[in-house]
Amino acid sequence: MVLDTILTNSDLIIISITGEKIKLKHRINRKSNNIDPNRESQKYSRLFRNFTVLTIVCSLIPLLLVGWGINIHYTKFAKSRMINSIQSRVEHHGKIIKLFLEEHSSKLKLIAFTHSKSYLREPAHLQHIFEMMNKEHSVITDIGVIDENGRHLAYIGPYDLMDKNYSQAFWFAEAMEKGIYISDMFMGFRKEPHFIIAVTRSEEGKKWILRATVNSQAFRSLVENVRIGKTGEVYLVNSDGIFQTSPRFSGNIMEKAPFRPGPYHDEATVNIFKGGNPESGFSNQITAETWLSNPQWKLVVKQDYSEAFADVNHANFATLIFLHLSALSILIVTIFITKYMISMIKKRDIEAENLNQQLMQAGKLASIGELAAGVAHEINNPLAIILTERQILLDLFGITKIDDAEFSRQLKESMDQIDVQALRCKTITHNLLRFSRRTQSMIETIDLNQFLEEVIDLMEREAKTSGIKFIPDLDTSLPPILSDPSQLQQVFLNLINNAINAHEGKPYGTISITTRGDENKKGVQITFADTGSGISQGNIEKIFDPFFTTKEVGKGTGLGLSICYTIIKKLGGNITVKSKINEGTEFELFLPFDLPAELKESMTDDDQNELSSTRIKI
Amino acid sequence: MIGSKILLVDDEIIFTNNMSKLLTSRGYLVTAVNNGESAIRMLEEKDFDVVVLDLKMPGMDGITTLKEIKKLGLFTETLILTGHGSVDTALEAIKIGAYDYLAKPCEIDELVEKIEGAWQQKDADEKKDMQEKIQKVIESPSDAFKLFKKKK
Ligand SMILES: Nc1ncnc2c1ncn2[C@@H]1O[C@H](COP(=O)(O)OP(=O)(O)O)[C@@H](O)[C@H]1O
Ligand SMILES: [Mg+2]
Repeated sequence: MVLDTILTNSDLIIISITGEKIKLKHRINRKSNNIDPNRESQKYSRLFRNFTVLTIVCSLIPLLLVGWGINIHYTKFAKSRMINSIQSRVEHHGKIIKLFLEEHSSKLKLIAFTHSKSYLREPAHLQHIFEMMNKEHSVITDIGVIDENGRHLAYIGPYDLMDKNYSQAFWFAEAMEKGIYISDMFMGFRKEPHFIIAVTRSEEGKKWILRATVNSQAFRSLVENVRIGKTGEVYLVNSDGIFQTSPRFSGNIMEKAPFRPGPYHDEATVNIFKGGNPESGFSNQITAETWLSNPQWKLVVKQDYSEAFADVNHANFATLIFLHLSALSILIVTIFITKYMISMIKKRDIEAENLNQQLMQAGKLASIGELAAGVAHEINNPLAIILTERQILLDLFGITKIDDAEFSRQLKESMDQIDVQALRCKTITHNLLRFSRRTQSMIETIDLNQFLEEVIDLMEREAKTSGIKFIPDLDTSLPPILSDPSQLQQVFLNLINNAINAHEGKPYGTISITTRGDENKKGVQITFADTGSGISQGNIEKIFDPFFTTKEVGKGTGLGLSICYTIIKKLGGNITVKSKINEGTEFELFLPFDLPAELKESMTDDDQNELSSTRIKI
Repeated sequence: MIGSKILLVDDEIIFTNNMSKLLTSRGYLVTAVNNGESAIRMLEEKDFDVVVLDLKMPGMDGITTLKEIKKLGLFTETLILTGHGSVDTALEAIKIGAYDYLAKPCEIDELVEKIEGAWQQKDADEKKDMQEKIQKVIESPSDAFKLFKKKK
């Protein structure tokens, strides 16, 4: 006659009283407990979004802002340095050209003012001066003396120009007027670009001119030989926009430049032309310009923008690539970490939910226990009265003379039946009370064999329907052990339940339950061996893990064995498993006769007294 | 022991009435009361050998009653009657000084057996006490009168 609970995997509580089964369908309503899965997944994606956005706001945006800021700053700085350098370059070249022109004009001036016309018109003298001037470098190609009417008085040079009259030449009038004159490049009589320097001296009221043609090769090389990168060019252009030297790419000497030179000004200027700029004739270029004052020529240094800023752009490009790659990797890592975290949270949530359900289950069990205890207690009082009434009747019957034999026999029989049934009720109520006590955990002395028999008794019907027989093999010499019956009950029921479940698909099988006392180890060896499906090599390490189950959703929680493990460990025991696939599984439990000291210490004094009280039979 | 004086304390009147009848017919002198307060009053007035006390009673419950009885310091043994559910309380009662406990419902023979045990315990205590007193009287007869009061 057993009354107990089984917490089967399908959350069903079976209370079996004196062999009759009352099934209390006690399913946890998973629907109402579980939150709508759609909303759940929404919650996680929201969490994911929030995490990601937060990380991006906190790390990526500052990184990018700082990175871009530094980059912009650096670019500005590098560009202004570049502009300064190109500006000083044009100033430098301008100075060299100025110096060249000034040197030669002052030399001519010196000659004109230190020698008289009559002296210079002697070809031998002029020849001498010509040679002196070209002594170091060939700087002038010819030299001549011209009177106020434009006629050559003397001429030294490679051309035959003695009879040329310059009175109509454009430079003649200018030179006569200004005293010194440097011409633009022109073709003149010799059909090649050249320019002259003319110095006018007034001698005895009559003007004459000393005129030299500058070696245009020497002059042009000053400008044309300057090389700046692959796209850079340097050239001179006069105020009418005629090239005074040949640019490297954009034209030839004496040709009209494709842009207007603009007005004269003192300072060197730098311009950047981005994109096409038909107005200026430049596109995607940087130019630096400076004006010479005499003659009014503009020196232009020009380079492709992309080349001039190649270094800056390279550095820029590299830093930006680096910056964006780091940002990208942070983003990727963030997404991965967040995903991982969310999956962990999800797992924890599911575990918590499962645990919660287990707790609720335990709570419900406990309240059923309480209820049972109350009911049992209340039934005991009327039962006691029934028994006393019976006794009174029996007493009275004993002293009253009744001749009717049939009545006497019937009365006796009924009285006996009242006694039997009342005692049956008593057993039920006492079992109910014991069940309620087992829902609370407490330490008691237990006859393990009897305890196991009770458990087997309880599970017999369940097993029978699956074609499973129990084979108990119990050590009769086993001493009573000190342990927690409610927890042990849970362990045994779980193991038997699993064993029964393992026979799914097999028409019959057995579950052998063995106990063996071990005096050396001071404990009991209990084995539960079944002939079920067995456990695969890969799974056997995981079966004690919480939430590991091979059963379909709703059938297994995966908590059974992990709970068993925790309980047995807490009670100072051990649980191991051996299994052969398709042949069966054997769970081996060891339980100490006595409880571990720390568990005993945690008990109150009352519990201790109860344990030592021998007068009480429960 | 025929003629033992029993005090029955239980809130169920039918139960105490029936028990009174049964115990009386078995030769005991039974007084029944239905609550703890009456029980104490009774004990103050008369001598009893054994008190049969129910634990679960409205008003003053079994344990409190037992404590009160103990305070009186009488040569009376108490037998606890209880539903099985209150084993813990029964244990507590024994710690306080009850003789034993019995789970309801119980057979009359069981109860009689326990009552007998309780009576013997009480009798033994009383005799032992008497002997000690006699010893003291022998040692100092002057105090004899003072000692022969029926108190522990
Ligand atoms: N006796 C057994 N025979 C075969 N497999 C078993 C046995 N006991 C446990 N297992 C395996 O261990 C897993 C975990 O068991 P358990 O922790 O009780 O959780 P659950 O029974 O809810 O799945 C089961 O799903 C099953 O695969
Ligand atoms: Mg299981």
